[in-house]
Amino acid sequence: MNEKKRLPFGMGRLGTKWWVLVGVSLTLVTRGIIAYSQQASEGEVVTGMRDIGPMGGAAWGLYIVFVVYFVGISFTGICLASLIRLLNLKVLRPIVRPAEVMTVIALILGALAILADVGQPGRAFLMLLKYARPQSPFFGTFAMVISGYLFGSLVYLYLHGRPDAAVLAKRPGLLQRFHRWWAAGYGDTPPERARRVRSSFWLSVALLPLLITATSTLGFVFGLQGGRPGWFGSLQAPGFVVMAGLSGVGVLILIAAGLRQALGEKERLNLELFRWLADFLLVLLAGYLYFLVVEWLTNSYAAGPSESLVSQAILAGENAWIFWGSVAFLTLPAFLLLLQRLRGRVSLPLIVACGVMVNLAAIAKRFLIVVPSQTHGMLLPYSTGSYTPSLVEWEIVIGLVGLGGLLFALFVKGFPILELDRDYLGGTK
Amino acid sequence: MARYGMVIDLSRCHGCRACMVACKVENNTPKGSFWNYVFRFEEGVFPETRVSFLPRPCMHCDNAPCVKVCPVGSRHKTLEGLTLTDWDRCIGCRYCEVACPYGVNCFNWKDPKKNRYLDWSDPSLEGVELSHGMPYANPDLDLPQGSQGRHTAGGGRMKGVVEKCTFCVHRLEKGLLPACAANCPVGALVFGDLDDPESPPSQLLREKPHFRLLEGEGTEPRVYYVGGAPPTTASRQIEAVKARVER
Amino acid sequence: MNRTAIAIWMVVAGFSLQFFAYFRWAAPLGAPTSPAFSDPRIPYAPAAFIFGVMLVFLSAVVYELQGGGEGESDG
Repeated sequence: MNEKKRLPFGMGRLGTKWWVLVGVSLTLVTRGIIAYSQQASEGEVVTGMRDIGPMGGAAWGLYIVFVVYFVGISFTGICLASLIRLLNLKVLRPIVRPAEVMTVIALILGALAILADVGQPGRAFLMLLKYARPQSPFFGTFAMVISGYLFGSLVYLYLHGRPDAAVLAKRPGLLQRFHRWWAAGYGDTPPERARRVRSSFWLSVALLPLLITATSTLGFVFGLQGGRPGWFGSLQAPGFVVMAGLSGVGVLILIAAGLRQALGEKERLNLELFRWLADFLLVLLAGYLYFLVVEWLTNSYAAGPSESLVSQAILAGENAWIFWGSVAFLTLPAFLLLLQRLRGRVSLPLIVACGVMVNLAAIAKRFLIVVPSQTHGMLLPYSTGSYTPSLVEWEIVIGLVGLGGLLFALFVKGFPILELDRDYLGGTK
Repeated sequence: MARYGMVIDLSRCHGCRACMVACKVENNTPKGSFWNYVFRFEEGVFPETRVSFLPRPCMHCDNAPCVKVCPVGSRHKTLEGLTLTDWDRCIGCRYCEVACPYGVNCFNWKDPKKNRYLDWSDPSLEGVELSHGMPYANPDLDLPQGSQGRHTAGGGRMKGVVEKCTFCVHRLEKGLLPACAANCPVGALVFGDLDDPESPPSQLLREKPHFRLLEGEGTEPRVYYVGGAPPTTASRQIEAVKARVER
Repeated sequence: MNRTAIAIWMVVAGFSLQFFAYFRWAAPLGAPTSPAFSDPRIPYAPAAFIFGVMLVFLSAVVYELQGGGEGESDG
């Protein structure tokens, strides 16, 4: 009985582990801010990027790699949340809220990564609102992914959080005002419940196609460019969608495992849920490996000379270790998960390890899409270029990851990270 | 209305790179920024080698990939056929740079004022008397250009924006040739109105077989080459210019 | 029915706004041969597009919240 008086899921209680997470995140964020202020005052000369052509560099580097990575993660979060609600997958229900939060945070990080990349971030907002052109593949990224999609996921998170907020709003405490605002008068009456079901359905229906379009536009940023060998291709957009799914499910596995460990929620975040996530990962891995084989078969069989140069750089050149590393980190999890499936067991450490590997592979693959086509994909006979990310770039990117951790840690303490059961606080009503 | 273009006679070019220097002086481009670039190629194995040269200004494409991808319409096509950058609008996303197959775009990786060959505002230069006066800063670059009055000539360039060859739009307004064409010692760069059949480039195109770079990309360049052949995969660059920007 | 009508109206208005902003008000699509291809036909057309997307999602909030708290609020 006493248990019910406390706030759920560690809300409001700041333990040692939480402080460690916040401390580490804050350190990373601070270093990122220092690095960014350096870039802001000196210009992007502090990065490893340089002009394509006579300067022999890559004009897009780590920032764009992580824009793609973050947006990919956010795509999966809301996509899974929508699917779980639409198909009413009861086992996966507990990760709906973490997935929604992951989406919103990842989108914020994606937007910040774009700002880190552009040379005139102060101008960017006004110019984009005033002049953005639909013909530019960036229109999808700016107008839909960041603004529309961020807004849509916020609405989604907000509306689905209302019943929980309404329950918490009844409890006196520091956050009561916040919860009351969030609940906005939700009373859990039958008509309200019916409305919720209806709006939830339509939101999911509206979000799914928007998500696929938005992630595809990110693929089009590269796939529509005939002038960069290795980019042009119709597989680029679907490849982006599947890779986004992979990295997102990977991060979600890490979040779920972390919550299970930190909150001791072995009931809700049970092994059956992890088995489902592992299956998702396996299916997506199979799909992506298929794309990978098709892509490389086409490239090695019928590529022009400049395409071959890029392939060469990726398969056997200076980027080979990244490529073969990413292939290993895609095939190994696929093999391990398949083996686990065949033996009918569920090993949490193994699934977590697969989640980590898949994410490293996703970052590596994005790097291979963005960079070699610039340094080795020159159609005029310029000298071969090179690109190595500078310390500043790494610090900014890792700072963004830290910011993600910080935002997540703060959310967890202010709002139930898992959906409350219907009978929570039932006795007080 | 004139629609400008350039014809480059490769049989005349001997790779002196005077056009590159003229461009730098005229447009005051910062270090590492080459709006015009002259390839020096070598083909074959010694002693059977052949050397050739290929000046590469911006192609001012009619179907320019950079214009298509620019998210804010900073890179635009003028009615005179020029492909220009609006310095007041560029947000520095560098999409034009990755979209361009010719590698003509230059980003301002650092403040251009701190990236000059000589810092003109350096107070220690005040007492220095040079026989030819102080280094030249072109005032025309700051003037608004064309009917839209946009800053497209390179003045007011700042850190974090992209720049490239303008065909010296500020000189065209005065009826002058672009600096590269005006300064070529052998008249290899022939500039003029391609819509006028009597203009020097049009006449040259009628007389000689010509090609454009990367014709297969569908970019419709407004720069034509005569008296030579396009570079092949066998073309190796000799004495590549070391374009560098350091912190 | 009222709340449904408002929500549907917002969705229709949002999508129309997106359509017009994309195809009619923003810079035209096609091979860019003149400065007209680089300027929106109506200033801030992209902002209108984004507002259209927001309007569609906002309809869900209006649908759930509109008048929902009356008489039931415990605050």
